[in-house]
Amino acid sequence: MSNVTYPPALNQVQSQGQPVALKPLEYKATAGLLDDACEEDGSIKPQWAYILNGLRDLGPDVLRERELKARRILRDDGATYDIYGVDGNSSSSWELDPVPHVIGSEDWANIERGLLERAELFNLILRDIYGQRTLLRRGAMPPEALFTHTGFLRACQGIRLPGDHELILHAVDMVRTRDGSMCVLSDRTQTPSGSGYILENRTVMSRVFPSLFRDSHVHRIASFYQRLRTKLASLSPSDDTPLIALLTPGSNSEVYFEHAYLANYLGFPLVQSGDLLVRNGFLWMKSLDGLKRVDVLYRSVDDLFCDPVELRSDSRLGVPGLLEVVRSGRVAIANPIGTGVLENAIFLKYLPQISKCLLGREPRLNSVTTYWCGDDDDLQFVTRNIRQLIIKPAFRGSGMHSVWGGDLDDKAIDTLLASIHKNRYQFVAQPRLEQVYTPAFAEDKLEPRPTLLRTFSVATDSSYMTLPGGLTRIATQTDGRVISMIAGSPSKDTWITATEPERALSSDVTPEVINAQQQSNMVSLPTRVVENLYWMGRYSERAEACLRLLRTVFVLLNGEEPISDSAQRKLLETVTRITSTEPGFLSGSPELLNNPDQELLLIITDGARPGSIRSTLNALLSAADESKELLSTDTMRVITDLRDAMNGLEQNLASGLTSAPEEELDPLVTALTALSGLMQESMIRGMGWRFMELGKRIERALQIIATLRCLVTPVTDEADQSTLLTALLISMEVLITYRQRGRERRGLELGLELVMLDGSNPRSLLFQLNTLQQHLAELPKNATIKDELDEEERALLEALTTLKLSRLPHLLTTASDKREDMDVLLVQLEKLLNEFNRLLSDRHFDHRADVLQLVTTFWGEQ
Amino acid sequence: MIRYRIRHITRYKYASRVTRCYNLAHVVPRNTHRQRCLKTSVVVSPTPARAQKRSNYFDNIAFHFEIQKPHTALEITAESEVEVEENNDALNLDLGASYKNVLAALNDNINHDVIDARQYLLNSNMIETSDALREYAAPSFSPDQSLKACVSNLTTRIFTEFKYDPMSTTVATPLADVLKERRGVCQDFAHLQIGCLRAMGIPARYVSGYIETLPKPGEKKLVGADATHAWLAYYCPDEGWVEFDPTNNKQANSQHIVTAFGRDYFDVTPVRGVIFGGGSSPLLEVSVDVARVA
Repeated sequence: MSNVTYPPALNQVQSQGQPVALKPLEYKATAGLLDDACEEDGSIKPQWAYILNGLRDLGPDVLRERELKARRILRDDGATYDIYGVDGNSSSSWELDPVPHVIGSEDWANIERGLLERAELFNLILRDIYGQRTLLRRGAMPPEALFTHTGFLRACQGIRLPGDHELILHAVDMVRTRDGSMCVLSDRTQTPSGSGYILENRTVMSRVFPSLFRDSHVHRIASFYQRLRTKLASLSPSDDTPLIALLTPGSNSEVYFEHAYLANYLGFPLVQSGDLLVRNGFLWMKSLDGLKRVDVLYRSVDDLFCDPVELRSDSRLGVPGLLEVVRSGRVAIANPIGTGVLENAIFLKYLPQISKCLLGREPRLNSVTTYWCGDDDDLQFVTRNIRQLIIKPAFRGSGMHSVWGGDLDDKAIDTLLASIHKNRYQFVAQPRLEQVYTPAFAEDKLEPRPTLLRTFSVATDSSYMTLPGGLTRIATQTDGRVISMIAGSPSKDTWITATEPERALSSDVTPEVINAQQQSNMVSLPTRVVENLYWMGRYSERAEACLRLLRTVFVLLNGEEPISDSAQRKLLETVTRITSTEPGFLSGSPELLNNPDQELLLIITDGARPGSIRSTLNALLSAADESKELLSTDTMRVITDLRDAMNGLEQNLASGLTSAPEEELDPLVTALTALSGLMQESMIRGMGWRFMELGKRIERALQIIATLRCLVTPVTDEADQSTLLTALLISMEVLITYRQRGRERRGLELGLELVMLDGSNPRSLLFQLNTLQQHLAELPKNATIKDELDEEERALLEALTTLKLSRLPHLLTTASDKREDMDVLLVQLEKLLNEFNRLLSDRHFDHRADVLQLVTTFWGEQ
Repeated sequence: MIRYRIRHITRYKYASRVTRCYNLAHVVPRNTHRQRCLKTSVVVSPTPARAQKRSNYFDNIAFHFEIQKPHTALEITAESEVEVEENNDALNLDLGASYKNVLAALNDNINHDVIDARQYLLNSNMIETSDALREYAAPSFSPDQSLKACVSNLTTRIFTEFKYDPMSTTVATPLADVLKERRGVCQDFAHLQIGCLRAMGIPARYVSGYIETLPKPGEKKLVGADATHAWLAYYCPDEGWVEFDPTNNKQANSQHIVTAFGRDYFDVTPVRGVIFGGGSSPLLEVSVDVARVA
């Protein structure tokens, strides 16, 4: 996202006398400042009047309530920006100001004409740069303006997309100027981000302000995404229904939310580097049922990272050999690799000549005045006026940041000038633009905030279409200078308002098209996504089992009936085993066993400790992130609840275990139960669901086995046995059944029957193995001989048979201090299940071989 | 015309199995104003799933291939026949445009060739000009002397003042180190002279290629004859691209066969690519044989 440095506004507010007390939510522009909502005399502009009156009528309390509602929806949708954050402390949630940015439809029509023309122009520049380069020959700009730019990729020379428009998506950052026209700050052409956030903002606003939205006759934006979809499909080299995939750098990307959101909305599989491979000159996606040919790649990976063979060789985000597939026309990529060159800030200086050369006229939309240090006159000018200029790198990915000369002391100026003179081609300078303000909601009032607009145009069959609206971003405060996502700048929905209601276009994306694509996706999920769903199943089950056990142990330790030291020790040891946080209580340290609170606390909250509840939940959350585009809104909400419940728990336990710690765990158990419920009730019974189930069942079976080995295998005295049996029954959720059935029988035998061999108990071992077998039968098969069993089927069948052939009384015989037969059975089952798990993963999941470069290369050392 | 047959074999041995690989090779000689490639064949073992030859941005021949079966060794054998113009070894250094006039012409002309040549004035991945390079180069240049004489003088100075030492540098040794240590191999010397020329305002590019393995009776065998060789070319609006070989202190002649032109080694790397598996540090072996065909 852009990082636009604004200078402090000139002529700071001359407030005269005492500030006049405003009525609640009355908007007042600051005198002397350029305000988009107000005329110079302070009166509200007509296009803003309806909204601002509407908001005023709602009043601050209602508006605050709506803002909270919006925040809840965003949170439930998992709308984030940079969730991993820098240093883990950046604001991660997507901020949406409840006041929309309003643009009147006539005004917009003008802006739109400029944007359409600019998209056409940049398309022509792109084609010329990777084609004839007549722009250089005709002197529209010096050759160095192009050749010096790191985004000019010689490997892309001559690559063509079908159709006249090869620049598929064009985004523009711009601000309003004093004469009412727009001024472009920069063009985004490589992987312009924001269109997903626009969609999310619109969804939220139309839900939070339904009547205000309806009555403002806001232009609909859905058709933009429909056009994007149609255009992408039209690029496909094959005649069949094209497979279009969205390539993301992965969940570490700061805008990963948008990638998952768009993939979901457009019905494209969301893929990462490891999901794709080049074979026999085509691009393929690895899916459960083999390789699927990819026809169109809608990418969010930067140019240089797309192909380590020909571009940056250290990239792990691209696909080796991709460019050669593109060259042969066997896959289409949007935007084409190499479009980053259009973000060259030097072009802004020469844009009038370039436009005359290609379109025969100067562009309708102005760009910010740009000085290029590669030009002798400009260099002189920049040197003399550096304190009044913003100095920017010509190439955005160069690692340099924009600086405002006015911020620098003499020493810093000298250093900057020295590096400019050493590498003059790489620098441009721009004057500060006057800031333009729009109203934003702050606690209980509307205040002016500096504002920036990003718009999007998409190529159509014959021309371009501009998204009617855009992503508006505002500074965090009135005197804020920097608008960037990284600084946590809030966003606004952008409303193009018509005086007349819009002709009812097909209001939403044609449902059947999307459904067809989604249906076919059910069989062709990337294996990485499937693997993550599997791990989601395992981690959620593991977290739940550990939590149930901890809760049980807390209840028993603090219960009314005192328990013996030896039973307490057994219970604590079980906690260590089940959570795999050895050595813990197994170290036998008397101090630890007598004062277990601290250790128990760490087992819950210490994220750095593998096996702790926190670390298991973190693993669960990251698996959920990787398969985000398959999870329903409700599921995303529960995932967010989990995150919050964990943070809440951490806070509640900050000062040590409380008197009833089991209650603190309840919200987590509830959230996990809700998650299992949703997986059961809301997921399509496709491959993804099946693997999640497989993960869950394997994990649960292993947990049962481990718990039995801790609580039942050892021979203890009667009292302890009763305690441990109770622990088993509570943590396995069968205490009630036990009591009901126990009118005739009681004791270990009944308990074991319920936990191991009762096929009607969904928490019994037998039930898990039966379920595993059912799922396995539905997976794609490999065996070539009919009815021959695959290796993993054999392992599972053996486990199931071994369990079924066992006899309870036999298992309970005691020889020494251990129930030997029971232990042998459990060890055997554990071994078979682990074997089953290994075979299953080997067959269905992709394990990337290490990648090695044949030569080391030197990108980015310039 | 002299006709050469060139066999260029590249072998990689891997510590462990490579499951698949994607490569880009520049091992087929291109055409230039003084040579034509008459025929060529590239054989890769194991057999690639797909192989494709194309002419690239620099008009070099890029050879792409992917291998989809497990292997522990890779061999690329390129065989070509190239016809090279015989040139008169005695070069007249006093002819041609002066350094001063060349600088002016580069600025004033905007014909296609000059525009294209101007990209070879800029820093590239492996060559960054510096004050140190300029200071080193400056004594060889004087405004009224012919550019060719200046470049020839620079070539001789590099030849005499730098030691050819295959142990001293790697592909990744920075130019500044080469300048400081005064030693390197043909690739370093080519980069060095290119950096010097660019610092002096003269477009210069990297040339990869071969030189004749066995000299004519009575002549000395040239350095770099058993492997791929590298030299450079500078641009002069009147004369086009002129090639010099600092490793052998001479203007490139009919013993020099060009494979590819680029801004530096990076653009013309003989073999690059991505392999899956293979363990650490593969063993690389290159052999080149250049023989005259009667």
